[in-house]
Amino acid sequence: MAKRIILRLDYCIGCRACEAACRSRFKGEARIRYGEIAETVMVPLACRHCDEPLCVAACPFDVIQRDEKTGLVYQSSFLCVGCRSCVLACPFGVMDENLMRGISQKCNLCNDRAEGPRCVATCPTGALQFVEEAELTEKKVGVGFVVRSPGRRRP
Amino acid sequence: MAIKRTTCPFCRNGCEAGVSFDGYQYQMEYLKDAKVNKGKLCPRGNSANLVIDHPKRLAYPLLDGNEIIWEQAIERAKSWLESVEPDEMAVAYSRGLSAQETGLLRGFARFLGTRNLVCGHIEPESCFNYRLAGTGNATLDNIKSAQTILLIGDVFTTSPVASGPMIEACYADRKSRLVVIDSIKTRQAGFANLFLQVKPGTEPFALMALVGLLDKSVSGIDVDRFTELAGLEPDQLRQAAKMLGPGTPGFVGSAMHLGRVRYPVLHSLSSQLVALKAHKPFVGFSEARLPEGLMGFGQFRQAVDEDRIKMVFWFGGLYPYSYPELFPEMAKVEHRVCTSIFRPENTLPGLVLPVPSELEKESIGYSYWGKIERHPLASPYSGTRSVSWIIGQLARIDEIPEELSKPMGMEDVLKMATRTAEIPKDKTDNWLLVGEKKAIGIGGFYDDEQEIFVNPVAAQKLNVTDENFLAVESPSSRNEFRVHVTSAVPDGVLSIGVNAHSNRALFPIETDKESGETAMPPVSVKVEKTTATARPAPEIKAMEF
Repeated sequence: MAKRIILRLDYCIGCRACEAACRSRFKGEARIRYGEIAETVMVPLACRHCDEPLCVAACPFDVIQRDEKTGLVYQSSFLCVGCRSCVLACPFGVMDENLMRGISQKCNLCNDRAEGPRCVATCPTGALQFVEEAELTEKKVGVGFVVRSPGRRRP
Repeated sequence: MAIKRTTCPFCRNGCEAGVSFDGYQYQMEYLKDAKVNKGKLCPRGNSANLVIDHPKRLAYPLLDGNEIIWEQAIERAKSWLESVEPDEMAVAYSRGLSAQETGLLRGFARFLGTRNLVCGHIEPESCFNYRLAGTGNATLDNIKSAQTILLIGDVFTTSPVASGPMIEACYADRKSRLVVIDSIKTRQAGFANLFLQVKPGTEPFALMALVGLLDKSVSGIDVDRFTELAGLEPDQLRQAAKMLGPGTPGFVGSAMHLGRVRYPVLHSLSSQLVALKAHKPFVGFSEARLPEGLMGFGQFRQAVDEDRIKMVFWFGGLYPYSYPELFPEMAKVEHRVCTSIFRPENTLPGLVLPVPSELEKESIGYSYWGKIERHPLASPYSGTRSVSWIIGQLARIDEIPEELSKPMGMEDVLKMATRTAEIPKDKTDNWLLVGEKKAIGIGGFYDDEQEIFVNPVAAQKLNVTDENFLAVESPSSRNEFRVHVTSAVPDGVLSIGVNAHSNRALFPIETDKESGETAMPPVSVKVEKTTATARPAPEIKAMEF
């Protein structure tokens, strides 16, 4: 399995540096967002790069495609017509409209940067990790949280 | 592609950041070989490339909101200078200036023959300038090897990158202990092994009680009274004192936020005193450190109020306008010359001169951990002139080095705490509004600052839910917020973000009688449920700052 952005929830301090790094690269459009789930758990939200991506299935013009080799789900914003089908199809709600340009936008794991995504590089506490599945078990990411209720940093 | 390196100027952690330019746009580079931050950056550090070529950058001097050329601007400033007496002039400085530039401003004030040299950085964190004799400064190694950490205020939002090693220290061997003293349950408090929730603004009293418990030989500390003033249980403080006792490596860190601290000087000194008594080094987390001026800000405001100031030079970041509550007062000054990086949103009477940002200057400064050098990431923005050039046009002067004030003794702190504790508390039925840095950053991060945190019990009293809006009225301003019901704040206390200027205006600037320093303490407000039920549609803007 290719590398993915993984969150160690118990390390996240909610500073939103990930969002700022993304915003800084894409000039105002953040493709990773800092969200609240069920009002209590606050986590950065980004594209999961699903094995069977619904956004790819929903896109009427094949603008979003999946690279079979790396598993990267990428989009050519040049060809996008802004029909919002992918935004509606995404089960995680991480596809977003670019209100300025009237097209949709998605995370491409910073494939222009050899060292990996910028959000991972910038994360002050190392809560975001860019790892392969094998490393997940090795690093025990997400196994046995240190705090009792990870992510519930404030009620 | 060449990477230009510098030390990030947005807080005092001294993170190294890189910027590359591909001929089209600037991009941040994360330098893994950086000593302090290992390539990590906080939201503001990440926005550095946006600051360099931001569309709102000011490229022309403005006179009453109209663009003019530099020659006209300098001529105008010179003619104003000739029309006022030296005593009627004031030179103020704020964030965004290098140490050399503040040195030049001291020289400029001397050249003008005025003693009205004012430090305009009036955030409570400027009170970390007050030092206590005997307290040691923490190093990076202290953080990495810490087993007991005491944090007062929200350190994680002040310097997120510095929080990385602290969390690592907590999780690496799982033996480290984190004690947090704060008035609201921030995310940082969620990490704490022991969280002491004090009444808003009473952190110094909890700290003084802690000093009494840590060192029984110190006389003159009424532990029970201070514990009661802070609204804590004696057991909680005893447990904290036990965890902090000498022997375990660790450190004490303190941060102060606008709208949350009532006695900033005492807050700073009592934090240092706890560190001294717990035999631990201390670090005051702040976004900027500026030397003290010759005149206190409170005195300056009084002088403006009494029409004794006819002309003001305000250098660095246009900060008078970061505090909208000062706006009407500053309007009284006849002639105003200020510098700015960005084009001001409101039309400002007087001269506004464009200057290069800190990212376009060479300078030397000090982080928490030692001396740092800053190198320009880009050439100065077109049309800007440096502060030294501007002063050079008006005067021929040399830099005057900063003189550090004498550190204070323990006796002074004890006396100050006792006197402060005797100040009667106003009893009102109103709600207490506190400020919080919910997310730091330049670059459109103010979006969730339209929220107000309300305790579930308080929400019932006010008959509001998450759908409703509350109108908040303080003595200085009025604003509307969407309700967020949460037990992060205690009953009777409401919390808002203080990055947005409209929110800042709710906190009136007061002068602390004890020290003469300015404070923006928690404020008593009137709240009212409004008829609005939905959030207004967001206005679409290109790259918000």
